Amino acid sequence: MNFEVKTSQRVAIVAAGIVSPLGFGLTETLQSLRQARDCVTPVTAFSVEKTRCKTAAQIDDGRLLDKANRSRQDRRLHRASYMVRTALAELLERAREFEPEIAIVGTTSGGMSFGENFYRTLGNGGVCSAALIANYPPQKQIVDAMEKFGINAPAQVIANACASGTNAIGHAFNAIRTGRCQRILAGGYDALSELVFVGFDSLQAATPEKCRPFDSNRSGMVLGEGAALLALEELESARSHGAEILGEITGYGISTDNHHLTQPNPDGSGPRRAMEQALAQAQLEPNQVGYINAHGTATVLNDTAEGKAIAELFGDVPVSSTKSMMGHSLGAAGAIEAVVSLLALQHQFLPPNINFREAELSLNIVANEARDAQFDCAISNSFGFGGTNATIVLRRFAR
Amino acid sequence: MSLSIAGMSWVTPLGSNVNDVWQRLVAGEAASIEILENEQNGARYLVRRVPATTMAHLPPHARLRRASAISRFAAAAGLAALAEAKTPPSLDRIALVFAISNGGVIYTRRFYAEIVKSGAQSASPLLFPETVFNAPASHLTAILEISGASYTVVGDGAVGILALKLADDLLASEDVDTCLVVAAEEIDSLVCEAYRQWRFLRDPKKPETGRGMIMSEGAGAVLLKRSNDGIEIDQIVPGANFFRRSEASARLGSVVSRLKNGIGFCVGSGNGTFIDRAERAAVGDEMPVYSPKIALGESVGASVFWQLITAAKALEAGTLPGSSKPPVDSHAMVLACGLNQQTGGLTLRRRDCPAFQGST
Repeated sequence: MNFEVKTSQRVAIVAAGIVSPLGFGLTETLQSLRQARDCVTPVTAFSVEKTRCKTAAQIDDGRLLDKANRSRQDRRLHRASYMVRTALAELLERAREFEPEIAIVGTTSGGMSFGENFYRTLGNGGVCSAALIANYPPQKQIVDAMEKFGINAPAQVIANACASGTNAIGHAFNAIRTGRCQRILAGGYDALSELVFVGFDSLQAATPEKCRPFDSNRSGMVLGEGAALLALEELESARSHGAEILGEITGYGISTDNHHLTQPNPDGSGPRRAMEQALAQAQLEPNQVGYINAHGTATVLNDTAEGKAIAELFGDVPVSSTKSMMGHSLGAAGAIEAVVSLLALQHQFLPPNINFREAELSLNIVANEARDAQFDCAISNSFGFGGTNATIVLRRFAR
Repeated sequence: MSLSIAGMSWVTPLGSNVNDVWQRLVAGEAASIEILENEQNGARYLVRRVPATTMAHLPPHARLRRASAISRFAAAAGLAALAEAKTPPSLDRIALVFAISNGGVIYTRRFYAEIVKSGAQSASPLLFPETVFNAPASHLTAILEISGASYTVVGDGAVGILALKLADDLLASEDVDTCLVVAAEEIDSLVCEAYRQWRFLRDPKKPETGRGMIMSEGAGAVLLKRSNDGIEIDQIVPGANFFRRSEASARLGSVVSRLKNGIGFCVGSGNGTFIDRAERAAVGDEMPVYSPKIALGESVGASVFWQLITAAKALEAGTLPGSSKPPVDSHAMVLACGLNQQTGGLTLRRRDCPAFQGST
């Protein structure tokens, strides 16, 4: 196996698909971002009687599952499969001929609620269907969605906690940049589940109040769910068949913060290294970045560490956490926020950080309302349990 | 430069010393079988466990105080693979790639059991972080003080191939020159029950029959670097997915056809299920095939690494367990078929093997 490192390949985004509490598809997502829509509602999927937090940003099942049109095989699939399928359908509408060599996607829990059902059924003396067991594992959702559209590519599923989606896109970017691949389907997905919801509640990382990233009175995160996928292709290859180029990925940084399993180092050094690496790879100075889509979970610890790193590195570059509107969708978050950043670049606006009242750090927060802006580069941050930090740089495509 | 194995280690139900376990495999030994009982429904499962004595040498670390067995197995294998390197890798330029399938299921079951039994308010904040797929990788980066790239890759029994592919891609960039690739699993009754209801497990009343798999646990680790010496990984081919079991042999056949010719033997993933026939059909009747799962059990996410180390030792020793024909070729194939759609394969070669002359 010989290594011929090519570092000059540019990586184009030729299509995207998304479903999140903000909406189904790019158009609805754009509208919700512009309208600063708060998508957080009371949890309906399971009992929250004994949890502190009672809310989440959820995708409407009536619309997601399209119950009237489901085949017998479809009915066995997990909600997360429908999310991936929805995102992939939109992506393929825009790039019908896209044939990825591999899918690199992030998730944290795959079909977790099927695992919960399995455990409960067992406790009640019941026997589960094989389909429930087979559709639980985290690779099933992307594999099944690809099958639906006749794609049979290997699925490399990255589970780096809340950074999974950004890591998947970043690694896919590097695989194309170094000439290892030409076309990759990249993104992430996660569906709300009781186990994960209670987990964040038990850590008191989730809030019973509004999600207020970077606010001095922030009290924690609100969970969300969704899926987003990007069709990434080497730029010259994309140009050669006349693909519409929505934007470019130009940099990626990854670092590991060994401070604690669930808490970032308060000095912000881990996030800072990821952002510095991404800027260096994109050959950008911090002041060339026009928008930062922050990880911004609204936990005291994350926002302090990330805010410190952003303030030190970027000064007054506009920052927002769109999790304030759509919650934290864990393995999907990085992919959804990459699409949000792409929309911001394409439509030249800054998505808002809603529920913001009082600044704690000296950051230029895009408070409560979207703003028009002219900029060419954005970064998107994702950090997760295990000390994983990831940043990608997106650039508006100049024809 | 090629992708060479600078260090390798495993933690298995037959022990953790690479050479000792290898000798026992060659001698035809198999790990002892125990019975695990499910507290929820009383079901019984045949399992092959890592003996407690195997883990006695693991150095203490604050991160391992509360960690589950999976993290301990991973730490033991990872540390041993690193210790094998002739030159200690630079911590600034090493990446960790972790392969996993079932993950930290012991703590996951305990955490969810508390929710079901006593309500959400009783769920332990100490257990939840250990349920996350990348918890074992996080413990390992902390122990080894790796501050760069760390990836956890999840999938079925073929996930090891996808993790090795990720490592291969990382090593093609300018940022990384060594990659520690680790995989681990732990046994738990909940996972056993899932496989039982899926009808993949061996009947506990018929332990000697070849039908059905026996779950096991442990870890495997390889330290990869760019160089041209020793045992090299020649090709890594993540395969297409199969949607019906009857398609598995065709998908594996496609992987085999993409791997180079001149392969002397195959270390496969046969485990007593449909995989055995699918693999045999894919490689043909002539090629010697050996699966270490016969002796070590099915460790799912870790299994590719047990296969890889077995293949490397077979190339070194010029012998394949369970085969009367000595493997004379310089190339070995590792073939992986998971129970849940994924496939893949890789080839290994031994650069100083006489049959290597003229090969590139």
